[in-house]
Amino acid sequence: MSPMHSFVLTTMACTLATAGLAAQDRLETNPFAGDSAAIVAGMGQFRQRCADCHGTDARGVRGPDITQVWSSGRTDGGLFQTVRRGVSNTEMPAFPAPRTSDRDVWQMLAYLRTLATAAPTEPPPGDAEHGALLFESECAGCHRVNAEGGRLGPDLSRIGSSRSREVLVARLRTGVDESRPGFQPVTITPESGPAIRGVKKNEDLFSVQILDTRQRIQGYEKDQVRSVVDGPRSLMPVFGPQRLSDADLNDLVRYLGTLRGFDPSVPPRPPVVF
Amino acid sequence: MNVTTKIFAAFALLLATPSGVLVAQETPPPPPVTTQDILAGLPSDGSSWLTFGGDYANQRHSPLTQITPENVARLVPLWTFQTGTLGNFETTSLLHDNVLYVTGPLNVAWAIDARTGRQIWRYRRELPSDLTACCGLVNRGFAILGDKLFMVTLDAHLLALDARTGSIVWDVTLENYAVGYASTIAPLVVKDKVIVGVAGGEYGIRGFIDAYNVESGERVWRFYTVPGPGEPGNETWAGDSWRTGGASVWVTGAYDPELNLLMYGIGNPGPDYFGEIREGDNLYSNSLVALDADTGRLRWHYQFTPHDVHDWDATEVPILTDLPIAGQTRRVVMFANRNGFYYTLDAATGRLIVAKPFVETTWAKEIGTDGRPVLLPGNVPTEEGSVTCPDLTGGTNFWPPSFDPSTRTFFVNAREVCMTFFAWEPEYIPGDRFTGGAGQRVPESESPAYGALRAIDPMTGERKWEFRYLSPSTAGLLTTASGLIFSGDPDGNVLALDSRNGRLLWHYQMGAPLHGTSPTTYMVDGKQHVLVPAGTTLTAWALP
Repeated sequence: MSPMHSFVLTTMACTLATAGLAAQDRLETNPFAGDSAAIVAGMGQFRQRCADCHGTDARGVRGPDITQVWSSGRTDGGLFQTVRRGVSNTEMPAFPAPRTSDRDVWQMLAYLRTLATAAPTEPPPGDAEHGALLFESECAGCHRVNAEGGRLGPDLSRIGSSRSREVLVARLRTGVDESRPGFQPVTITPESGPAIRGVKKNEDLFSVQILDTRQRIQGYEKDQVRSVVDGPRSLMPVFGPQRLSDADLNDLVRYLGTLRGFDPSVPPRPPVVF
Repeated sequence: MNVTTKIFAAFALLLATPSGVLVAQETPPPPPVTTQDILAGLPSDGSSWLTFGGDYANQRHSPLTQITPENVARLVPLWTFQTGTLGNFETTSLLHDNVLYVTGPLNVAWAIDARTGRQIWRYRRELPSDLTACCGLVNRGFAILGDKLFMVTLDAHLLALDARTGSIVWDVTLENYAVGYASTIAPLVVKDKVIVGVAGGEYGIRGFIDAYNVESGERVWRFYTVPGPGEPGNETWAGDSWRTGGASVWVTGAYDPELNLLMYGIGNPGPDYFGEIREGDNLYSNSLVALDADTGRLRWHYQFTPHDVHDWDATEVPILTDLPIAGQTRRVVMFANRNGFYYTLDAATGRLIVAKPFVETTWAKEIGTDGRPVLLPGNVPTEEGSVTCPDLTGGTNFWPPSFDPSTRTFFVNAREVCMTFFAWEPEYIPGDRFTGGAGQRVPESESPAYGALRAIDPMTGERKWEFRYLSPSTAGLLTTASGLIFSGDPDGNVLALDSRNGRLLWHYQMGAPLHGTSPTTYMVDGKQHVLVPAGTTLTAWALP
């Protein structure tokens, strides 16, 4: 082969390779999303390459919890690039081709997606508009949506993309086993004056920082108060059938399912009176 | 006068000054660091801190007494240095002639004025973008001899830097980073050699300890921590599994000058959790090896966890001392292991003297008289998961313990955490992780995790006292001859306690926890300083 032939062929090969890469780079949605064979293969890949840092359930060990990446606004295409290129100056390595094929990355993401939310099997039941009214009366005292509502419980503005219907139903019907960090009930008894109840935002050996039921954030030094007592479980009440009928439950969960992130275009509701 | 003329005039004036006048006006600088200085350990005048552990025995016990249990609560900050880099300190700073030599994350390093915290020079290595370093892009410190500093890199090199300028004197490759080798260990200078090891136990490397000539950077010897075919110990690896056996070396060992022995803890076998493809004891993973410092030949070894499947690297810090055992003074090595047991071994032979759990251990009933753990069933990781205590981070880990010889007390920051361990067969791809499993913490509601600073009697393994943290701490320790112990909690507090009883005496919220490293202490201009590395800051403290 002449040097010129060789040059032309090499250039063509490079161009084709680049074009192929560029095509993959441009893919914005996972071609293997929901493909059960790909999900099984992706589980193997995930366990081999990701689970050591992110955990078998992707909720984080040395590396961060990555079950909420979609709900926080990341796209399939963006996540593909993160896996491919790694995160510089962190331990998140790059998984470059050819050691890791495009198929491998997409399959890992297809599996990860199954850990993030359960795929719905049928259209969700319930009336979202009525659910919004129920939310207003039953939930908004403690939970915020689109910058409206209480603060003692977690902000639910994107709960619909981060929790499955089954999980939401279970939480409402049976309560919450453990408070999320930042929401554990606590009672502080000062040297004088009434006890202060709230949720714990932070704590070390010497101090505790809380949001109290008056929604005041404040830190207290442990040696300056009479006692700091942790509350049991969570402040989240159990909504049994007596308190919330099955039909109302469906409506409320349907409404929660519509919450996909803070939407500034939604007009604020009338102020909630606590 | 323009700038050039001014510089010329100043230079001419300097040349014209009789050199004798200059010398008479200035105190002569102390000579460069010698091997004798390093052998002497921490001097009583507090003028230096020259090795990772303060001395070759790794005791991290300072003879200084200006700061006491009575006055420690009056400590005030003198200065804070900020790295301006991503990542956290895991380093032990060295001090020589009022200058601190400090390594940081991402292989940035500094010389810092110990009086003011001001930078004198900064070194930054251009690192490749495809690093394979696991578990923190960190560095654990310099070694020093003469006018040279020695530092390893995340791309598995060993550098000698000019201590006055931070420029490179020589640069040697330890191994190929692209297939999983990295290095984070603080080197140790012994005579005319600098001793280092490699990380990469999660990448199927073959670990080693190397010795390089301090002047030329030439390699003098290499000890493979996984023996090759024909070498004793190779039979403890099924088939070809020794090739990807791991057994990394990423924490500095001890050196005994009388025995001329280096004692280094060795990391986990690879793959970490799936043991079926590496049947056997897997020597010298999870062992303490004692090597002749001149030749690198193995004198003895003690394997804490034969055929480990829980990622329990024995890369904790060994501490040497003399103890009266059965009416005789014996040189011993003390070792609190990631597997949850505390050990006292004979330093000359490696023979077991004491072994006792210092945290809850569900995998072994005890250590038998033959030195091997008596295993309990149900602790081999599976696809479905099996719960074992301690977790993969271990009962303790690489954060340095300390030892007070006056009270014969060994101090360690211990963790009480359990974990579900999973295993599956991995595929070896060079440069890819090769762990064969993972761990998942047991939920708090089922098994609350906590940590404690524990004081242990090395002659019995019994606990003398403990100070509990809300959750596990990863701080190293420092004791002083005045009866203090410095530690850190996981929430960012640096703590000073009475080392005799664990009573808390002083604390300060640093904003980030001490992680994997200890406070150090030394004297500057007649004042005892306590230097605290936390997050991206170094802060020096002294009495007002």
